[in-house]
Amino acid sequence: MNPRASRRRFVVTAGTSGLAAGSLGLLAALARFAVPDVLYEAPRRIPVGRPEEFPPESVTLLTDHRVFVFRTPEGFYAVSAVCTHLGCNVGHEAGRGFACPCHGSTFDEEGAVTSGPAAWPLARFALSLSRRGELVVDTRRTVDAGFRLRA
Amino acid sequence: MTAGRRGALRRAGTRLVRSVFRVGWPRSRAERAAAMLSSLVLHVHPTRVRARVLSPSTTLGLGLVSFYLFALLTVTGLALMLYYVPHPDAAYRSMKDIEYATTFGMFIRNAHRWAAHGMVAVVFLHMCRVFFTGAYKRPREFNWVVGVFLLLLTLALSFTGYLLPWDQLAFWAITVGTSIVAYAPLVGEPLRYLLLGGYEIGQAALLRFYVLHCVVLPLAMAALVALHFWRVRKDGGIALPPGPARRVLVWPHLLFRELIVLVLVLVVVHVAALVANAPLEEIADATRTPNPAKAPWYFLGLQELVHYGAVLGGVVVPAAIVLALLALPYVDTRPGGAGVWFARERRLANAIFSALALAVVALTVVGTFFRGPNWAWVWPWAP
Repeated sequence: MNPRASRRRFVVTAGTSGLAAGSLGLLAALARFAVPDVLYEAPRRIPVGRPEEFPPESVTLLTDHRVFVFRTPEGFYAVSAVCTHLGCNVGHEAGRGFACPCHGSTFDEEGAVTSGPAAWPLARFALSLSRRGELVVDTRRTVDAGFRLRA
Repeated sequence: MTAGRRGALRRAGTRLVRSVFRVGWPRSRAERAAAMLSSLVLHVHPTRVRARVLSPSTTLGLGLVSFYLFALLTVTGLALMLYYVPHPDAAYRSMKDIEYATTFGMFIRNAHRWAAHGMVAVVFLHMCRVFFTGAYKRPREFNWVVGVFLLLLTLALSFTGYLLPWDQLAFWAITVGTSIVAYAPLVGEPLRYLLLGGYEIGQAALLRFYVLHCVVLPLAMAALVALHFWRVRKDGGIALPPGPARRVLVWPHLLFRELIVLVLVLVVVHVAALVANAPLEEIADATRTPNPAKAPWYFLGLQELVHYGAVLGGVVVPAAIVLALLALPYVDTRPGGAGVWFARERRLANAIFSALALAVVALTVVGTFFRGPNWAWVWPWAP
């Protein structure tokens, strides 16, 4: 083969692959850049007050955090107020469970779907006691329905 | 002034005008053709078209109306950007300022809103027209695909604009809309996170929607519109049935008709903006869900489906519709019936498409007018 032609082909191949790799790398960097690493959202570990502030056998809606805190004889648990269907806020009525105003999904006291379009039960969030003795809801961690915090 | 001076002045004036418009105001047939060719804007057209193109029933002018609405949205949108502040602390107040403390602010916002809604409807109708006239057939397959992306871009533009007023309507419509996104398997949750720039609809989400709405999507739209127009020319003009090949000059015949359509569009948008105000509810509040919470009207068909089954309505049906639309020109390859409304040989295709289009319209109407609190059935005329 003509050495000039083969050299030219090498330069063209190296050049185009370099350009392609560079462009793809730039695109990948832009895509990654668009995924935020720091969020200026409300903290997802939320101190909600001392256990004794919650009356026995009570349900408390923490409006700003969209979380229900239940206090039962067996202990505390936290249920998300965000409907699993399309993200509206569910309301709670003692003894009758939760109802979503948007599309009519209903959930029992345990957060399991009883009717309507929602496909999943309401999320249960992990609860813990801080060192200062405050209840802390962690909305990053979901737990199963049997979870109770003795406090 | 002497006659000689006046002549020199006139010649200088002519030279100035001619440096911009090479042909000047065309008077002869040859000059009219030359005027079309020498203008950046006008040379989107050929110099002559088949007489059939002039008939309103050929295309109903729906593509042209879509384009005019896009242009109008660009102009009114740029104006609104002077006052609108994309931050949750300021967005709602700046909307109020636009409405009540800015001369013509209410009018310009109304025009933007109604033109946007109109564009969604007209682009949909344009797609129906192209289908019913078989205009996606060879050699126009690819331009149909471009058109499908233009429809998706139109929806995305409208949807991203919906959040910006930062009122209850905006906040909960976007809550519902982005929750539908999250139903997509595997990519759904990450996509929602990327779209919102976090887990909540907050400052990051508002800024992202603003950038998408004002820069990214309009640029993509402009690029694809240019491609769409260019392909219309390269694919041999709009689809017409075989018939007399009599041609007429675009200047003045087609341009005059396009001007009339522009006047009609402007009149309709002006009247709409004068008689009806764009909605602005209370400021967005994540702790209070209105009942019912509805997506923008063009997604209410989807929301109605999501009511029956989340994955079905949120993922399967929309994905199937888009894929079917994209594949259509490569599946239906029989050449017959291009350029003819409701051609006999396309009865089956037209029946299927009509049924689907009617289903979309019916679901949208049900979701918009027949669904009340708790998404329960209501009669719109009931008190």
